[in-house]
Amino acid sequence: MSTYLVFALKRFLQFLAVVFTGVSASFFIAHLSPISPVETIIGRVSGQSAFSPEAVESLRQTLTELFGLNVPLHEQYFNFLRRFLVGDLGPSLLAFPTPAMKLVGLALPWTVGLLTLSTILTWLVGNILGGLAGYYQNSRLLKAFGIVAIGVQPIPYYIVAFLMVIIFGFLWPVLPVSGGFAMNVRPSWSPEFVGSILLHGILPAASLVIVGLGTWFLGMRALVSNIVTEDYVTYAELAGVRRERIVSSYVIRNAMVPQLTALAMSLGGIFSGTIITEQVFSYPGLGTLLVRAVNAGDSAVVLAVSCVAVIAVATAILLIDLIHPLLDPRIRVE
Amino acid sequence: MSVTTDILTVDRLRAYYQMNYFGIEREVRAVEDVTMRVKANEVYGIAGESSSGKTSLIKVLAAAIRPPLRVLEGSVTYRFNGNPLDITRAAEEEIEAVRWRHLSYIMQGSMSVLNPVRRIGRIFEDFAFRPMGLKRDAFRAAVEAHLARLHLEPGVMNSYPHELSGGMRQRVTIALATVCRPEFIIADEPTTALDVVVQKDVLAMIREVQQALGSSVVFVTHDMAVHASIADRLAIVYAGRIVEEAPTRTIFTAARHPYTRHLVASLPRIGDTSPKPSLEGRPPSLAEPPPGCRFHPRCPIAIERCRKEVPILEEWPGEHRVACFRAHEAIPAGEILHLKRGSLQ
Repeated sequence: MSTYLVFALKRFLQFLAVVFTGVSASFFIAHLSPISPVETIIGRVSGQSAFSPEAVESLRQTLTELFGLNVPLHEQYFNFLRRFLVGDLGPSLLAFPTPAMKLVGLALPWTVGLLTLSTILTWLVGNILGGLAGYYQNSRLLKAFGIVAIGVQPIPYYIVAFLMVIIFGFLWPVLPVSGGFAMNVRPSWSPEFVGSILLHGILPAASLVIVGLGTWFLGMRALVSNIVTEDYVTYAELAGVRRERIVSSYVIRNAMVPQLTALAMSLGGIFSGTIITEQVFSYPGLGTLLVRAVNAGDSAVVLAVSCVAVIAVATAILLIDLIHPLLDPRIRVE
Repeated sequence: MSVTTDILTVDRLRAYYQMNYFGIEREVRAVEDVTMRVKANEVYGIAGESSSGKTSLIKVLAAAIRPPLRVLEGSVTYRFNGNPLDITRAAEEEIEAVRWRHLSYIMQGSMSVLNPVRRIGRIFEDFAFRPMGLKRDAFRAAVEAHLARLHLEPGVMNSYPHELSGGMRQRVTIALATVCRPEFIIADEPTTALDVVVQKDVLAMIREVQQALGSSVVFVTHDMAVHASIADRLAIVYAGRIVEEAPTRTIFTAARHPYTRHLVASLPRIGDTSPKPSLEGRPPSLAEPPPGCRFHPRCPIAIERCRKEVPILEEWPGEHRVACFRAHEAIPAGEILHLKRGSLQ
């Protein structure tokens, strides 16, 4: 197992390198923005009442220092890295003195909850159904599911999301179509609040699941219909090994390895997918926050969201990579 | 030999691949009118070139009949513990009950028959735990004892297939196929992918296990040298039909069918430096086999009758069967082996 620990350590160092690169790239991209946060605030403040030019100038200086913009870019970068390590990414512009990280912290649980649940659900159900469809190729039910999957799979997230809103919000209004919870419920651990969260999560989650399910189902079905012709499956069948054992330990188990890799690679895409989904359903997650921040030129929040996204996706991929050798003994971990 | 010692009786078996592509029927006549018996405690060799239908034949024998392969006619009857079981008609549960316990299979390509993500010990459990019906500890001890017989250490139980060498893996598959002490073992080209040194060990091992268990083995390969060293009796298959069947020695010394004679003559012998004649033409497509004797387009001694009538497998003295109209004539080797170009269609 010690070779595994060495592998895990190496992989962790890689993870740090990925996060460092991603975060640095986010910093420079955010600073390329033509919207200056200082001028935006000045514009907002001076638009409300008349100020003397001296007052405006002193406000400009104070704000420039406050945002740390009074030093050259490379120094700003090192200051940013230092503050990044302690989790401080400066004040938000949108909600001025509030730290950007606090806004992200408020939005993060919504997105992580929605994403984790819908991704795991999609991946598991899609793979199990796809695996069964690949093995029991004569099942009418699974064949029908395959046809539906082929039809639904190419539809973009946002179309499905809009369809959901139209169907369940207007034509047959049974589910809430916006927000994270009902307005009249106080946030607490009461069953009423949790129930409200779940109820509001159904449509956003469903739009992610419906699209993702088809992709995993079709991928897994194609993989499995290859694996069932492998000699080890034929051989186990000839030996009279129990069907359930063959499907689980011989067929699906072997297909899991490439599917896990595919999951790791698709995580980034799933994350950007939620940005749109959250927008459609006004879900109070990172996506909504990000879009609002971009529109307001709030580079601190944009940067904070990007950094958190980089860390989250890199962590998920790290976890999957650490599971990988445990799933496929042929992967060398030295 | 009396009939009661036959463990397998195949009677007039016809098995075709029947496909239907968008309404166009296609039929591949892979197994045509095969009748054979395998006795208890013997090694029965089946020889034939690629695409001669020998794999389809053993698929039927191994009860691995999956569409598009279908049995149209005939029967394949095993007699385990005196109970006849015709696997072309038996229910799936009856076949499942004899699999591995009585009827096992060594598959071609030991590299790919073991599940790559499962330890050898777990594979043994999957395959043999139920049929053997032992307690877990006793089962493990029995498997280890059997592995030792094949010169494998108990440690391989904890290995993954990719951690073993090719020869070890082949021994593991042989151990897997014989651990339940089956009466009947079907071996499909078990030595084809191995080098000659490992091949020799594996053959000796199959022989050893077969003799220790008293099982019957149907051994399929295109390699006549392997047949010479392992088979008691040998059937020569050409284009889906058995053309000759005899004790191995008879096949090599007194074959009657021109195809068999050609096959034997093509084998190199020590000290013989003469060029080996090769048979002209290619084996026929089983989708459209030629009428009459399926060998006639390539046969150097074909006569008019061969083009119209199908020769039946005739009994000869000494457990010998031949399907050739001219088997009774004494045809010198020279006439068979030296082909005149242009004399054939």
